[in-house]
Amino acid sequence: MSAVQLTARGVRKSFGGVEVLHGVDLDVAGGSILALLGENGAGKSTLVKILAGEYSPDEAQIAIGDATYTEMNPRSARAAGIRMIFQEFQDASTLSVAENVSLGRLPTRAGFVVSKQQMRKRAATVLDEMNVELDLDAPVSSLRIGERQLVEIARALSDEAKVLILDEPTAALSHQEVEALFRYLRGLRDRGVAIIYITHRLDEVGALADRVEVLRDGDVAVVGETASFDRAALVSAMIGRAAAAVGRPEPRDWELGAKPAIEFERAGLEGAFDDVSLAVRPGEIVAVYGQLGSGSAELADCAFGLRKLTDGALRIRGRGAPRGPADAIRLGVGFVPADRKSEAIFAVRPVCENVSVPSWRRLSIARFLIRRISEIRAYVRWQGELHIRSRNDPLQPIITLSGGNQQKVVLARWLECGTPVLVLVEPTRGVDVGARAELYRSMRGLARRGMAILMATSDYEEVVQVADRAVVLARGKLITELVGDDITTSGLLAAAGG
Amino acid sequence: MANEPAAPDPIPHTAPLPGGDPAAPAPPGSALAEVFRAQLNRGFRVPESAALLVVLGALLAFFAVKSNVFLTQANLINVLIAVATIGILACPATMLLVAGQFDLSVGSGIALTSCSFAYLLTHGYSQWVAVLAAIGLGMAGGILNGFLVTVIGINALITTLGTLAIFSGLAELITNGVPIGFNGFGMLALTRPAFDVPWSVFIFGAFIVGSVFILRMTVFGRSLYAIGANRVAARLAGIRVGRTIFAGFVLSGFAVGIAGLVAASQTGEGSGTTGTGYELTVVTAVILGGASLAGGRGSIFGTVIGLLILGIIDNGLTLLNVESFWQDVVRGSLLISAVGFDAVRRRLTEA
Repeated sequence: MSAVQLTARGVRKSFGGVEVLHGVDLDVAGGSILALLGENGAGKSTLVKILAGEYSPDEAQIAIGDATYTEMNPRSARAAGIRMIFQEFQDASTLSVAENVSLGRLPTRAGFVVSKQQMRKRAATVLDEMNVELDLDAPVSSLRIGERQLVEIARALSDEAKVLILDEPTAALSHQEVEALFRYLRGLRDRGVAIIYITHRLDEVGALADRVEVLRDGDVAVVGETASFDRAALVSAMIGRAAAAVGRPEPRDWELGAKPAIEFERAGLEGAFDDVSLAVRPGEIVAVYGQLGSGSAELADCAFGLRKLTDGALRIRGRGAPRGPADAIRLGVGFVPADRKSEAIFAVRPVCENVSVPSWRRLSIARFLIRRISEIRAYVRWQGELHIRSRNDPLQPIITLSGGNQQKVVLARWLECGTPVLVLVEPTRGVDVGARAELYRSMRGLARRGMAILMATSDYEEVVQVADRAVVLARGKLITELVGDDITTSGLLAAAGG
Repeated sequence: MANEPAAPDPIPHTAPLPGGDPAAPAPPGSALAEVFRAQLNRGFRVPESAALLVVLGALLAFFAVKSNVFLTQANLINVLIAVATIGILACPATMLLVAGQFDLSVGSGIALTSCSFAYLLTHGYSQWVAVLAAIGLGMAGGILNGFLVTVIGINALITTLGTLAIFSGLAELITNGVPIGFNGFGMLALTRPAFDVPWSVFIFGAFIVGSVFILRMTVFGRSLYAIGANRVAARLAGIRVGRTIFAGFVLSGFAVGIAGLVAASQTGEGSGTTGTGYELTVVTAVILGGASLAGGRGSIFGTVIGLLILGIIDNGLTLLNVESFWQDVVRGSLLISAVGFDAVRRRLTEA
């Protein structure tokens, strides 16, 4: 395989009128591994998706070997030997491991009969090279998340990639699996493949990459040989000047409740987290910080009864673990899920109904006769308190509001419901900066009133800005706990990457 | 990652901390007044059903011109009588579709309830026993559907397609394939308590009133809309999704019992072919009336207009001596156009 050189110059891309890549360069040579770093929203995924032909750039000069392009499409990227492993699974879960490895280019006899033997042989070869043992005939749906990820990787690897792009491939992998993957990636590099490796984990950079490029707010912050940067230099390059403005909230001038509202005791959930002890008392905001696959989101799910612990104990306000969402609400827990559109809002329904949903019985006559006027009152009240910006129309569908204002409506839902405990997952994902600050201020205000707040997030700035305490999870283990002004962006990043 | 860039918010954040306790009384009336002023300023909003009313009006005008008997009171009452049975079924069907569910078994369901009614009546049971048995059987069918959909977890379309066949087979078994005629019980169809309108139409009216009440005024009705709009979010907001849908199917079964009695009263027999194809007409009327296949949208008012449109087309085409097979063609085309319209609307509003 001849070594290939990929060069991208001046890549620009806008979404909805906002430029997210301001003319970014990227070089990776065959036989080397480039680590691409950057915080959420820096433009890493957008950049590699342009290289893989998923997005078309507004402007770009891309050269792969001798061929030059102004934009790629999935077909030309494939023809150029670019293979990408996405963060989200794209496997066919009912098909077998062997079939998934060959998905999209099944080996055939006489042009159309699928050859099972060849398929199995191909899968066996690549999995063997990766040093991974999997049942070739098992349906992918029966595998653990980490194993599914490996099958995804095997698919890209078996496809004779010249340029291999991996977008945070290790989020769901165990330590041994990561080791095996790294060994294999080094082998590929030595065979002349160019590898672009996106990660949040700084320890992986040193272990794997020859060169490193850090993106920040759509620009290249630094680029160079891995050896020429230490950890602190990379962290500051990622955070940049903007992070200096990330301030801590005002110190707490109120007392915490005596009894914990949420109490995890040596809690474990198979495949997600293990041996986590954590208590949230009324009046404080506790952040669980961790990247995808760290177990932080699953921990939040457990507190709302969406998943059951397989180990240890969970107590909500001195009572047992919730058996489901309705039971959790009865116990006094409100929940703001990560995916607002698919899990939180009723898009076509009026905003006022979106606020009143869990409070319908209380707002009704005799607990079943809806009173529209109480719904509107409730909405108007929270609209004022949380600064929900909309036409002054409680009956407009919530989908007509901006993301930040939708999120305020979801928050208002639980304030109206009056739950003393609130669990939030990624509370400001897709929320603009202004609304974000307001949401944080509202959360602090709720803690002041005695609400116990548990927030699972992968956004470290968010943790710094609102949390009284922060626990860091990585690969399902509680790494450290930071309190008060010890919560800093560099502290969080270092702990999660370690 | 950067796929969702958001414009910076130009409005300064002067948000004071939300103070006071969460259960404090509602804010001063000024905010409310503001809301209502905004409502007034927004002016008259054309309701979505306006287009339907225009279609209805155009049909009325067209047939009034083409046929001199169309606009007579007797004929208009005929239209109402013709849609009454299907209308009774369409009321809970609207509730189910609002929650994103279907009940296709209503067609053969009324065959089953009317046949068992006729069987009991002709085998020495009193009228009241037969009536209660028919209603009970309809509800039992609804319970079966609800159980299969919410507890076992089978898709509603497939479940009720299956029970559609089952009920039809059972009805034929009861009658041995020959309609069972009976005497008496013509009351629902023949007695006209007021305005020269028979009981069947008044029962339909009662279903309309009851359904409007349930959908607009009760927590149950609201929950149906919420489930249809976003089932996951409904669950996460504490709505008991399974129970609510289950209740919807039981209501549909109740309507099947009543509609079966009306059909039996109108024909004076229990026949295995009663109600054949009604499921299609019911779904057409509900979707024509503005209910979204995706759930979360729909109203009884719209459904009633949809029913009237279908009823008037049937009636008018008959008066004009158009072959009755054309009515099926028209009904099918209307269903497809209504669904197509819904798809386009969804793309426009939720893109």
